[in-house]
Amino acid sequence: MSGPILALRGVTKSYPQGGLLDRLLGRASNFVALDDVTLQIARGDVVGIVGESGSGKSTLASLAVGLTRPTTGEILLDGEPLAALMRDHAGPWRRRIQMVFQDSGSALNPRKTIARCLAQTLALRGVPRATREDESMALLALVGLGSEMAPRLPHELSGGQRQRVGLARALAMKPDILIADEPVSSLDVSLQAQVINLLSRLTRELGLTLLFISHDLAVVRTLCTRIIVMRKGRIVEEGPCLDVLARPAHPYTQLLISSVPKGIAGRRAPAAAAASATSSVG
Amino acid sequence: MNRLARLARAADWTGWLGAAIVVVMIGAALLAPLVAPYDPVAISIEHRLSAPDAAHWLGTDQAGRDVLSRIIHGARASLAVGIGAVIIGALLGVSAGLFAAYKGGLGDQITMRIVDGVASIPLLVWAIAIVGILGVGPVTIGSLQFPNEVKIVTLVGCLFSPVFARVTYAVARRIVGADYVKARYLQGASHWQIALGEVLPNCLSPIIVQATLLVAIGIVIEASISFVGLGVQPPQPSWGTMLSDARNALYSGEWWLPVFPGIAISVTVIGFNLLGDAVRDLFDPRNEARTLVA
Amino acid sequence: MSAPLLRIEELRVAFRGTGGLIEAVRGVDFGVAPGEVVGIVGESGSGKSLSMLAVMRLLGATARATGGRVIFDGEDLLAATEARMREIRGRDIAMVFQDPQSSLNPALTIGRQVTDVVRAHRRVSASEARRIAVEALERVGISEAGRRLDAYPHEFSGGMRQRALIAMAIACRPRLLIADEPTTALDVTVQAQIVELIAELRRDLGLAVIFISHNLHLVAEIVDRVVVMYGGKVVEDGPAADIELAARHPYTRLLRACVPSLHGPLGPLAAIEGAPPRLGRMPAGCPFAPRCPQAADACEREMPPLATDGARRIACWRPQ
Repeated sequence: MSGPILALRGVTKSYPQGGLLDRLLGRASNFVALDDVTLQIARGDVVGIVGESGSGKSTLASLAVGLTRPTTGEILLDGEPLAALMRDHAGPWRRRIQMVFQDSGSALNPRKTIARCLAQTLALRGVPRATREDESMALLALVGLGSEMAPRLPHELSGGQRQRVGLARALAMKPDILIADEPVSSLDVSLQAQVINLLSRLTRELGLTLLFISHDLAVVRTLCTRIIVMRKGRIVEEGPCLDVLARPAHPYTQLLISSVPKGIAGRRAPAAAAASATSSVG
Repeated sequence: MNRLARLARAADWTGWLGAAIVVVMIGAALLAPLVAPYDPVAISIEHRLSAPDAAHWLGTDQAGRDVLSRIIHGARASLAVGIGAVIIGALLGVSAGLFAAYKGGLGDQITMRIVDGVASIPLLVWAIAIVGILGVGPVTIGSLQFPNEVKIVTLVGCLFSPVFARVTYAVARRIVGADYVKARYLQGASHWQIALGEVLPNCLSPIIVQATLLVAIGIVIEASISFVGLGVQPPQPSWGTMLSDARNALYSGEWWLPVFPGIAISVTVIGFNLLGDAVRDLFDPRNEARTLVA
Repeated sequence: MSAPLLRIEELRVAFRGTGGLIEAVRGVDFGVAPGEVVGIVGESGSGKSLSMLAVMRLLGATARATGGRVIFDGEDLLAATEARMREIRGRDIAMVFQDPQSSLNPALTIGRQVTDVVRAHRRVSASEARRIAVEALERVGISEAGRRLDAYPHEFSGGMRQRALIAMAIACRPRLLIADEPTTALDVTVQAQIVELIAELRRDLGLAVIFISHNLHLVAEIVDRVVVMYGGKVVEDGPAADIELAARHPYTRLLRACVPSLHGPLGPLAAIEGAPPRLGRMPAGCPFAPRCPQAADACEREMPPLATDGARRIACWRPQ
């Protein structure tokens, strides 16, 4: 199929604010987390979604995997409306779109060994009991972990190792689309690079479509082919990653770029540049 | 196994004392016919009201029955009510709390408001009233006959259920939002699989702590209800009825009649409380082996 | 170097574990001159925050300083009484933490919290304390400071809260400010502003600053000198430009290379294999040896000393 593997059409997500009384009196206002977003992701794309807190990037992720439903608008998975697919909770479409989470501490059930976590995932994909263990080991190897990890509990692993297990769990479903919500921001820098390299290799080798959500432009530049910059629930700029970073059109993208720490080289940059950019954005 | 080994290392002597008391009391209750030196209901007029001596370690009562044997047999009623009520309360409360936390939205609101409603009923007063109305005899439903204690266990269980519901709800709400629960949902796991396989196991520790503490309260409630004559019926022994029977002895100087059942109640309650505290410490994440981050 | 304002000598900090003391800071040694800005760079478990908490004597019940000295202005803080430390904290040395949310009391107004700090250290009237608070808030770039004094923390954004905390820190004109990852919890654009603010304060107030961070690029933008820590030890220390551009310790070099940049060549990032050592499982030799591409047998056996090399110091058997 040549159409987009994932598409959002005019998607808005708003949350009511205020208590029951406010709602009854009609005083409640809505917090709009995502505001009329339309975008298309082509098969095999590695897309970075960049923004700060409140930009709606995480809301976009939960909507795309079906953790929450849009207030208005439509999400299409391979041309089929997600709303219709979700009527079959455990349908075959489920395995096609999987997620890697931000917080390595909460991504794994603290009472389940790694082996059990993977085996239960494989069971839901319909892998027969006999081959689950072999396949679990293959998955661990795929994300660069040894089989000695299998009998361990999450707290016995480092943050980077837990994040790899989270990735292995997502890959166990053999997804076409992987959504990674800030998967490296809770990791130490030396482990961050390991996970980024791993994601980069796996998307290439497995032909995955990746939505990589991040606040770090430099990480997105290393990993992604396309970039979507979001602010306050809207897309402010999108395009090929290197083009956008080299010639940012929107002032907010320019501000984000100027905010990336540059080390010694950044010292020459006059403070005035950042200050003026701030005031223009408000 | 791992956890037990850690308990052995981590628990201080108070936890061990609590565990020892609980084990001794449950053992006494289960093996009462074997360990009790006399028949608890055998009347012996010639030995009535004898002070503690070599033959009757804790003395005898107005009917000449051995106090020690009655305390040992009485443990059955006390523990049965305490533990039985906790089991009923946990079944009702944990299901309600888990359902509300997992379901969220309107289901959550309705369930937890029902829980609030149950909690606001003065169930202890109702328990006394209901037993008073229905009488203290056994209840017959169809071909089954239930002794009076079943009424008490059920009512005390209902009394406990909001406590379990709220504890479960508070923890489960947090667990339901965890990423590993979301991940399981995204794999297409059923709601049963998620609620029972992911959420419930991570809520168990505070529930277990609550359970041990409530057993102690259940024992006191049983004693109170039996004390006013609506619980275990004479001549069957229970700590509450023994205290009740001992009222007259307060003025005539037979101190052993109120003191020993009283001690039995206090020690058991303290035992369950100490055990509860130790279990709480054990499940406290601060005691879990974890990496300290500088 | 002029007489240092703060001199940390052979500082050791250990946690009380089930099997005895577990050493997390293992002989840290460096100084801060008056008005100097020093960056401490390291990953979690490197002991960077812990050594600074030891300097402030804020270790709490689970850890304690087991050795060394912390000389501030000629006085050993590790030997000072608690009453003396209360005087020093806030007045001479101030600290700003990572999470502005949990560092402020949600029930008190910003003004109350800043004036409380002022009045704890200086005998001034309420109106004078208020004037100082307004001045401090204006100093950190909070506009309409007079009106904002009556605001509660939840009415402030994350960046504003961190500014308010910095205002509290500088209200009593301390000589040393310790900032522990002050920008990690903030959005990138706000992070840039806070870094700029700290650079400005240093320029205008002549404040000495210790800036703790895991991000070498961020630190290099504003500090004079960088101290790199790994496994509870200082592994390299020197002028910011030398450390960032021409580090000699393999860890520092890899640390710089594994952080992606906006300008470098594309392709896989330099990765440091393995994970930082865990507490209580520190290697006998160089703590970085198990992950070091240059490691030789000697590295595994013995910890290299922190040797002076011109303006910098380096602890490595095989420096580059």
